[in-house]
Amino acid sequence: MSLPILKAKNLSKNFGGLRAVANVSFDVTPLGVTSIIGPNGAGKTTLFNLLSGLYIPDEGQLLLEDTDITQLSPVQRLACGMARSFQITNLFFDLTVEQNLQLASQKLESWTNLFYATSKSKLALKRAEELIEEFKLEAKKDEPVAFLSHGEQRRLEIAVTMALYPKILLLDEPTQGMSQGDTHNTSELIAELSKTVTILLIEHDVELVMDLSKHVIVMAQGEKIAEGNPHDVRNNPIVQTAYFGETE
Amino acid sequence: MDKYQYQAVRIMEYVMLVAAIILIIFGKITGDTFFLRLATEALIFGGLALSVDLLLGIVGLLSLGQALYFGFGAYLSALILRDWVPSFWLCILLVAISSAILGWVTSYIALRSKGVYFALISFGLAQVFAKSIYNTRALGASDGMVGVPIVQIPLPFLTLNLGDAITFFVVTFILMSCIYFALKYFLYTPLGRIWGGVRSNESRLPYLGYNTQTPKRIAFILAAIVAGVSGALYPMLRGFVSPELMYFSVSGNAVITVVLGGVGTLIGSLFGSSLLMILKSIIGTLTFHHHIVIGLLFIVVVIFAPKGIVGILCTKLKERATR
Repeated sequence: MSLPILKAKNLSKNFGGLRAVANVSFDVTPLGVTSIIGPNGAGKTTLFNLLSGLYIPDEGQLLLEDTDITQLSPVQRLACGMARSFQITNLFFDLTVEQNLQLASQKLESWTNLFYATSKSKLALKRAEELIEEFKLEAKKDEPVAFLSHGEQRRLEIAVTMALYPKILLLDEPTQGMSQGDTHNTSELIAELSKTVTILLIEHDVELVMDLSKHVIVMAQGEKIAEGNPHDVRNNPIVQTAYFGETE
Repeated sequence: MDKYQYQAVRIMEYVMLVAAIILIIFGKITGDTFFLRLATEALIFGGLALSVDLLLGIVGLLSLGQALYFGFGAYLSALILRDWVPSFWLCILLVAISSAILGWVTSYIALRSKGVYFALISFGLAQVFAKSIYNTRALGASDGMVGVPIVQIPLPFLTLNLGDAITFFVVTFILMSCIYFALKYFLYTPLGRIWGGVRSNESRLPYLGYNTQTPKRIAFILAAIVAGVSGALYPMLRGFVSPELMYFSVSGNAVITVVLGGVGTLIGSLFGSSLLMILKSIIGTLTFHHHIVIGLLFIVVVIFAPKGIVGILCTKLKERATR
């Protein structure tokens, strides 16, 4: 078994009197998809925000390849190789697809290039072109993002997070609001990406999670209640109770 | 900027150039310098509007106190020219450096907040400076400063006399063109793209690895320099400065100018300023209450043409292309 790329140790977060995440620990091993699931209000999104740096945990520690990133900002976490997408599409809507990807890739360049014409930023332009091709956005590259379909926007959201070659990608409900066809395409895309980058996924669609994941972490009421491979998790009575309630 | 907006901006640039040439020829033939001086003043206030557009249209920061830097540049220019040395280049250089420092210092106050709070802080800063100058006897207090000498600009083969209306207009036109093209250049750099990102969705940028304060601070300082240098020309043209240059009416007029011309287009600021100056002088001959008409015009533009003159031209170009 390979060494974990991400280690969460006893992460906790309180909002006033509400304990949103309580003593959650888990490991994420390199490559493939690790997923976090749980019913509404389980604390998935809070946990995700703790991992991505939007919130700093009240207690606990987060290690990315043995580097302590617990107190780091999102900017610093990205520099360490951690990128995230958003549940609600969070892009630059009045910029074009190409401009969004160039903006996302610009950090590959030296900061001095900020002051030269965009055409001098060869690395960023090349990376944007690669992503346009990889995510099949060629036909829309000159369109402002606001004019894209929901499915295309979600695809671009993932493309943007891939711009800086992250080691680990945190995906927050990437198929939210998608049609069945788009969900299928995105699922294939995530499976393909997971061959080269570690993916930590939060998703409501349990079937999708079970198909894609090598490891599943289940949360309920702010705590981790189970983890394991999809088969074990599916058959775990504690998980079934959390999802479907007590059976008489 | 889509291709129609690009075309619209290009057309406006040519219109400005042709209008300038016509004005110069008209001034040369008739000897009537009234319109040239009016156009020079329009360009100077157009420079202030350019700085507002850089902040509002490019970065998404509504400044209601940009007159602070304009007035600062005007006062510093008047002090240098009247009390020290009447050198155009030294004056412009010192004003640019001092405005940058003032912009840098005040950015730490203004950029602490966003949205409407930023607008209110920028407004407050300008009011504090304006009232301080209003109460400073050494700077002429409420009377301002008079007696700024006419400036000569020595060049390798000739000396330009800014007392001549045509010369002053040409110098102002060239200086404003340089500022305009320099700002336009920035739009096509990665820095310009980050500004667009700040305007479009600032909270997303940290997740792409950007600290948003630095690009905002660069824009804020650049805007201070542009406003300051524009202000530096004012006492050279009018021979005096007064605290009113820092008042809200000046900052507010600059915002109206930008909206009238087209937010985020840069050329709209220079064009809008010229148009506003023409309207003011025409309406001013008919009624003392020209501010009412300008206010109404602002409302009409915001409702029916929120993208300003450049936006109207852009729509016409699109219609023509799809016909």
